[in-house]
Amino acid sequence: GSQGTSTDADGKYTLSVPETAKALVFSFVGYDSKEVAIGDQSTINVTLKVNTTGLDEVVVVGYGTQARRDLTGSVASVSGKQIATAPVQSFDQALQGRASGVNITTPNGVLNNPPVIRIRGVNSISLSSGPLIVIDGIPAFSGNSSAVGSVPNNPLSNLNPADIESMDVLKDASATAIYGSRAAGGVILVTTKKGRRGQSHLSYDTWVGWSKPVRLYEVLGAQDYVTIKNEAVRNLNANRKSVGAAATNVEGFKLTDANGVSADTRWYDYIYRTGFAQSHNLNFSGGTEKTTFYSSVGYTDQKGMIVNNAFQRVSARLNVDHKVFSNFSVGMRVGYSNTHNSSPNTGSVGDNSFGSAGLGRVPILLPPNLAPYNPDGTPNASGPSIGAGPNINPATGGPFVIGFINPVVDLAGNRFNSDGSEIQGSVSADWEVIKGLNLRTQYGINNIAFEDQAFYTSLAGTLSNPGGEADNYYRTNKRTNWQNTAQYDRSFNEKHNFSLLLGNEQQTTNVQRWGAVRTGVADPFFTTFQGNFTTITPSGNFQGANYLVSFFGRLNYNFDRKYLATVNVRRDGYSAFAKKYGNFYGASLGYVVSEEGFWKNAAFAQAFSLLKITGSFGKVGNNQGIDDFVSLNTYASGFYGANSTLYFSNAGNPNLAWEVSRKSDIGASFGFLQDRLRGDFSYYNNLVDGLILSVPQAPSKGIPLDRILGNVGSMRNTGVELNLTYNAFQDKAFNWTVSGNVTTLKNRVLSLATEGQRLPTSTGGLETANFTQVGNSAGQILAVKSLGVNPANGQRMIQKADGTVAQYNHSGLGWTNVADGKPTAAPNQLTDGVYYGPVLPTFYGGFDNTFRYKGLDLGLFVQFSGGNYIYNGTKSGLHDQRFWNNEVDIMDRWTETNTNAKWPRVVYTDNVSNGSALVMSSNVEKGDFARLRQVSLGYSIAQPLLERVKVANARIYVQVQNAALLTKYSGIDPEISTNGANNTGAGVDRNSVGQARTYTVGFNIGF
Amino acid sequence: CQPDKLDPKPEILFSDQVVFSSPARIELQANNMYAYVKSGTFLGGRFQIYNDIRANDFINLRSNGVTGTGVWNHTLTETSQNDVINTWGAGYQAINQINVFLDGLDANESKFIAPTFPANYAAKASNYRGEGRLLRALCYYSLLQLYARPYVDGNGSKPGLPLRLNGQKDDKGNDLARSSVGDVYKQILEDLDFAEKNLPLNNGSATLNVTRAHRNTAIALKTRVYLSMAKYDDVIREANKLVPAVGPFVAPTGVPNALNASVAAVFTGTQETTESILSFPFTSQDQPGTQNQAAYYYLPQNGGGNGEYSLNSGAGGILSNAAWAATDARRTSFVLVSGTESYLKKYPTGAPAPYTDKAPVIRYAEVMLNLAEARARTTSGVDPQALLLLNAVRGRSNAAGVYTAAGLTSATALVDAILLERRIEFLGEGIRNIDIMRLNAPIPGKGSISAVNPTDMNYVWPIPFTELATNKLMTRN
Repeated sequence: GSQGTSTDADGKYTLSVPETAKALVFSFVGYDSKEVAIGDQSTINVTLKVNTTGLDEVVVVGYGTQARRDLTGSVASVSGKQIATAPVQSFDQALQGRASGVNITTPNGVLNNPPVIRIRGVNSISLSSGPLIVIDGIPAFSGNSSAVGSVPNNPLSNLNPADIESMDVLKDASATAIYGSRAAGGVILVTTKKGRRGQSHLSYDTWVGWSKPVRLYEVLGAQDYVTIKNEAVRNLNANRKSVGAAATNVEGFKLTDANGVSADTRWYDYIYRTGFAQSHNLNFSGGTEKTTFYSSVGYTDQKGMIVNNAFQRVSARLNVDHKVFSNFSVGMRVGYSNTHNSSPNTGSVGDNSFGSAGLGRVPILLPPNLAPYNPDGTPNASGPSIGAGPNINPATGGPFVIGFINPVVDLAGNRFNSDGSEIQGSVSADWEVIKGLNLRTQYGINNIAFEDQAFYTSLAGTLSNPGGEADNYYRTNKRTNWQNTAQYDRSFNEKHNFSLLLGNEQQTTNVQRWGAVRTGVADPFFTTFQGNFTTITPSGNFQGANYLVSFFGRLNYNFDRKYLATVNVRRDGYSAFAKKYGNFYGASLGYVVSEEGFWKNAAFAQAFSLLKITGSFGKVGNNQGIDDFVSLNTYASGFYGANSTLYFSNAGNPNLAWEVSRKSDIGASFGFLQDRLRGDFSYYNNLVDGLILSVPQAPSKGIPLDRILGNVGSMRNTGVELNLTYNAFQDKAFNWTVSGNVTTLKNRVLSLATEGQRLPTSTGGLETANFTQVGNSAGQILAVKSLGVNPANGQRMIQKADGTVAQYNHSGLGWTNVADGKPTAAPNQLTDGVYYGPVLPTFYGGFDNTFRYKGLDLGLFVQFSGGNYIYNGTKSGLHDQRFWNNEVDIMDRWTETNTNAKWPRVVYTDNVSNGSALVMSSNVEKGDFARLRQVSLGYSIAQPLLERVKVANARIYVQVQNAALLTKYSGIDPEISTNGANNTGAGVDRNSVGQARTYTVGFNIGF
Repeated sequence: CQPDKLDPKPEILFSDQVVFSSPARIELQANNMYAYVKSGTFLGGRFQIYNDIRANDFINLRSNGVTGTGVWNHTLTETSQNDVINTWGAGYQAINQINVFLDGLDANESKFIAPTFPANYAAKASNYRGEGRLLRALCYYSLLQLYARPYVDGNGSKPGLPLRLNGQKDDKGNDLARSSVGDVYKQILEDLDFAEKNLPLNNGSATLNVTRAHRNTAIALKTRVYLSMAKYDDVIREANKLVPAVGPFVAPTGVPNALNASVAAVFTGTQETTESILSFPFTSQDQPGTQNQAAYYYLPQNGGGNGEYSLNSGAGGILSNAAWAATDARRTSFVLVSGTESYLKKYPTGAPAPYTDKAPVIRYAEVMLNLAEARARTTSGVDPQALLLLNAVRGRSNAAGVYTAAGLTSATALVDAILLERRIEFLGEGIRNIDIMRLNAPIPGKGSISAVNPTDMNYVWPIPFTELATNKLMTRN
């Protein structure tokens, strides 16, 4: 038998031992344990050596913790420190490249838009592929929750990243099965900081930052614009004449208007700025023998690189643990925060990429010969549109009002914001009934209130609503979660170690939203919803309710810490499904080969210090993102004029059941050279079955939304992950650590709802580049094959499926066969398109270098990703021959003297040859990139100096985020995902804004 | 664990089990059939707009793919979302709502008993069936005008539409072949005949007589349908039920639909004169939706719209046609000159939003001109009644411009005069392109856009790829 105790805050301990006791084992997390023979000593003092392998680090797993040494599942850990200084809005944005198997994409450069998180590939098609995020045991809300399309609001930004102790990413079935039904996309467990016994700590962290846009497209200035567009009109007239039609279009693009006013506007200057951000965090923590606490307040105010884009958060946290009796303790975690998001309409969020007011699109599209302001200082406007300026409409000969907004009016008068107010936390009690048996109960809440507002000034209004508009929405997300667990740990004969967990969890979630749109402002004086408007219309009303009940268990067993086994089971009932219950499980085995005697005694053991082999298999489910009432046949109520209606609103499926993932994983952890080189490797295979898909309904059936959800389809993700950390150089003064991770991914769609089905995913409702088809990776790009520009006549050539090469003569002969000049049918994306893909990176990872010389530290962190294709739709718009401005490379267009040109002969109103109206391969590019995501240089003030002023630590640093980007991609940013987190819509770049480069200076001090 | 919590009841959605449980809920569903047909992407706006801008009386000013550029310049493909895909979808969504309701009326008949239901509810249910069948006919007729060859091209033998006549609620039955144009027209007429027999004579209020179908609505639509099939004798037979041989032109039965004294008055105020036989209403809570409103398309920006389309002042456009006199009330009332452009002001409710002009479907003047054309085409020489009807419509807006038998000289000239009058009278009401195509005539060009001949691929719209991808029996145009 054995007995034990723990030390007090000063490291003192007493223990009475029976006379038979021979030795004491001292252990501490993160240190090597040490066995000391008792002999006849009455005082035994030991110093433990720091363990460098990390094997004894504690990993947070579902409903508990485990030593990494005993872990058989796949769990990646990221410490809060690694992300604490990143100038982000939510912690998930800072996880890029930090953990193997976790791919995080920043879809655009708007503050607080939710990153796209994919753990080992896309794991669903219709439901969410995002991971379950659990904060201190309570599942959190995630995903953009703003009702106003222009402004994103990621509820995870309510958690102050500075309060995070660690993030543990559960990846395989063994690790995730305990979360059963919510685990298909993986689980990220976030643990907030705790106080430590006997320590009193006060710290203040701050940074200030500046952000700027990078890689903006270079577009034509006024002179070149006028040249190109008039040439295009001339060519249009020639085309018209060639078919015997009237050629009366006016070369109406001019540099100067009738009053002699001219402009050469760089529209970016009115939309982008140098953003400024600051962050302050103050926390104090400590503890006595009975009570520990951590408390913090935080404030951040971030103004982005886009005018009017801002994020603010005020947060406070109190975490308390209190030992009531020696075997009974209680705890509390509570965080409260207020966030404020504001953003102009960038067209980059909310499926609005083609919006005529999107600021991703406006500066590259607006004619540069239009002025933002009239000579008298008023904005240049014609109704809600920008004024005609000097331009004459080639078709009509009248002033050319183009129907796009003037961004200065938009930015001055319109407002979009989303405010959040969250309380998140729990109370818990732990009772050690008998030695080794611990009962725990935890009751948590997560309540968020969102207030979303849009205001359009009547001075600009919206193009569809020139009278001005104010929209307000109020949403509440309310969740309660109650967990009860019993854990029993027991060892037999000192070799057989068992740990059994049994538990029950119930979670209730209610979401309500109501709102209204008011239009027709009484007077421009009113700039809020509460002002006077002539009409009011309900908008955004929503009600959702769901309930999850679960029973689960886990058994961990190890023999002598050499042979490890874990079995997880979970039974879940979830309200949204017609078939309520699902059973899930995960099992894993591990073998620590290096613990074997033969290994320890072998000659290579010194060099090859650790080898652990693990394997797991299991079945988990997915209910993330399914609508609460989608399995029911329902009717909703609307209007017919002044009367109400009742309409068939959803065709349910009485057999709708869980989406299931079968995950298997084989891995190894290893250590070489006294663990100077450490790493782990794993192979994963994730078969998603019973994918919930909209079984496509013929539109002529008229089923509401043309969809009925069914459990059809399957998909597989396979790949390998490798993590390596190398202490390249370690010395008292100089220290160099290199670490890196890489993950490969092969995604294959195995079956869809019907044979031969092509599942389209549209962008902004106007363009469809992504199609998902069996045998391909999800959402590949279908594009007709462009053979470039015909040197003979400057026409775009497209290869059709039958081998014909067609060329396009706008408003002239149209499509003709290059071979014989005869008319031919227009190429068609569906019949003539070829697939480009995958759009999901086939490899991705990060590479981190840390140098430390005395007080100086230098960090270089590179994130990389590749193997994927991007549909650069922005590029097609940039070469469109309507009145739109063009990228400077349009100057290399075909003319009679420049026959070997990059771009076709320009013909006014031609939107086909450039790809606006036809998805073509010339706008498909490879997306490989390496980004120097973070460079930091810090200086820690030397200890002796600090002690004199009673300071525990102090560090100042400078940092650059997104310092450099290495890519052949011609667009603004290869990470852009215009379709956000859409599983089958990745790899589309359409009018979105790119990521900023941010420079920060920070300081932290601890007492 | 609380098992009932696994079945949360939605607070703003009804179960399909309870929607036929009271007369009030059934009435709500009847309203709903209209609500779907008048979807802004269908007959609440875009359908009418598309059928005007395909032809040559309007000029596209915005080059905006969302507001019909592809329709205007005939470059639609089977993946064109806003027009080809959405119009088809909206039409069939309406058809299915109607079919589901009609099925529900039959399936729940046993519930229609006292005390919940009034004793004479069977008659009320028949009225609803009449409304459903009429609206279904209107949907199929409208879809035919864009997605199928004209009836006269092959006498209805060309591919028409998949005829869905039963409510679709589950995932079965995706595959359904196209019926011929003739068969679809046959069904349309069967539905309209049924509607004529089952609809009430009068709905009891001016608003309901314009916004809900009554017996005259069915008859009026039949005159349009037969005219589209070039079945002129049938047009005459049906129109005679509504149009007396001589003025005053007031329907002798049912709602006293009549030619209003002032055409301007038909399009002002509540737009509920007896001339409007069927129009769809909007309110601030029930708007046509973004970029669907006729006023948004046709009014200039300083007139409350977005100036998407101006009137074509070039050769061939109606604006420059000498037959449309400067003093014509339809010119003085409905043409707004702004800057160098002329715009259509038939839908006056622009700024401030919410664009509550009714969407017109059919009015009495059309029945009169349908009858006039049918008579003109079936009589040799200048048919006196046809001339009378033509002059009644023309003369109310342009008294000095009325035609004389001597001036017209032949049946052909009379027909041409009627077609021209229809262009002027129904400008912006979605009739123009139907009038061209029912004769299998070329769609005239405008500006830099060439004419489209009946033999051209783009004479009719392509079938949306969304249908081709899911309905294996569907065929391309």
